[in-house]
Amino acid sequence: MAPQVQATSIDGEPQVYEEKNVHAIYDEIAPHFSSTRYKPWPIIAAFISSLPIGWIGLDSGTGNGKYLPLPFDRPGAICTIGLDRSRNLLNIAKNAGNTGKIRDVVLGDILGRGWRVAAFDYAISIATIHHLATHERRKTAVKRLIEAVSPNHGRVLIYVWAIEQDALSKRTIPVDGATGTRGQDVVVPWVLSRQDKGSQASTEPQVLNRYYHMFAKGELSGLVQDAASELGLQLGPPLGLGEAPISISRGVEMVQDGWERSNYYVELRCWELP
Amino acid sequence: MVRLITHNLLACHVKGCNTNNFPLQFKDVQIELREAEFNPDFLKGFMPKLEWKALVDAARQLGDTTLPLEQPEMLDDEFLKNLHHVLLEIHVEEGVMTCSNCKHEYPVSNGIPNMLLAEHEIG
Ligand SMILES: [Zn+2]
Repeated sequence: MAPQVQATSIDGEPQVYEEKNVHAIYDEIAPHFSSTRYKPWPIIAAFISSLPIGWIGLDSGTGNGKYLPLPFDRPGAICTIGLDRSRNLLNIAKNAGNTGKIRDVVLGDILGRGWRVAAFDYAISIATIHHLATHERRKTAVKRLIEAVSPNHGRVLIYVWAIEQDALSKRTIPVDGATGTRGQDVVVPWVLSRQDKGSQASTEPQVLNRYYHMFAKGELSGLVQDAASELGLQLGPPLGLGEAPISISRGVEMVQDGWERSNYYVELRCWELP
Repeated sequence: MVRLITHNLLACHVKGCNTNNFPLQFKDVQIELREAEFNPDFLKGFMPKLEWKALVDAARQLGDTTLPLEQPEMLDDEFLKNLHHVLLEIHVEEGVMTCSNCKHEYPVSNGIPNMLLAEHEIG
């Protein structure tokens, strides 16, 4: 039987914890991980397909870069730059799509801000923010995505793992600490078979436990709310010139807030009064 | 990979480095040229978002002097092809990008720029 998802709690500094329980593991499992992650999810593919020609975007936590070649029906219409902390995954992401075309990737932290403010038209962060070990850091990650895009027309799509799993998912999720809109910290085992490790003479497969924060219903949209408020943004649809109080000139609208295949997602659109 | 399309977005993010932190200056670079498919509509859509002077300066640092100092009003084919080449076909494989303000160095190796900072440098 496959090893189970287990409840966990964070000890020590979150950065140190993430280094050991997320980053080091992705670097180790990169090739095997990549071979299991090749199919773009439909809502993400639809989001990318809807972007106007000439737009430039950030894929924050790009992993093996599977979203970098999209949209398949209009290759080269937009340019997505992949950011990740794992050099081994980026070496794979560089060649994402296997078309011989080299993708633009950057080694960096999703909480960093190594770009001009609002340099991008769009940003996506797929299955990434759930690897951050505190609520504060997850909120900062959402703020960074909003700051990365144009205040006038920027669009953001965020996907995270949900406690509520698809009926087809074989995982059972322990929910000892999860109440209301607080999610659950877990570790998810990755079994590295001897094959993946080359010809090493170990007999037992190695199990690496990756840390995840599994989101509760409403938790992701709550993060967006807090992030928007800390950035001084109105949360909601664009206000007309006359309707907005003097203090409000910019905002962000949550145009999608949903659940798909064991994940919660939100889509944001930024707006600015002229 | 650092093509100039990416370089035009990157800025220094060391704690407290908020002015003159863009663009990063190339040093000791090795470049490779790879042909890319010409897509004039992409270029026209993307142009308004470019920091033009930063792009022209970076291209000159890499030895390409085909772009005019001012963004032209008329986008003829010759100009678009030059822009296409500068933005999308010059790949910096190895080298260093230095912040003009705080002198922090961001290395580029195997085509991948490293924008990670040490814990004490993060703002
Ligand atoms: Zn600097």
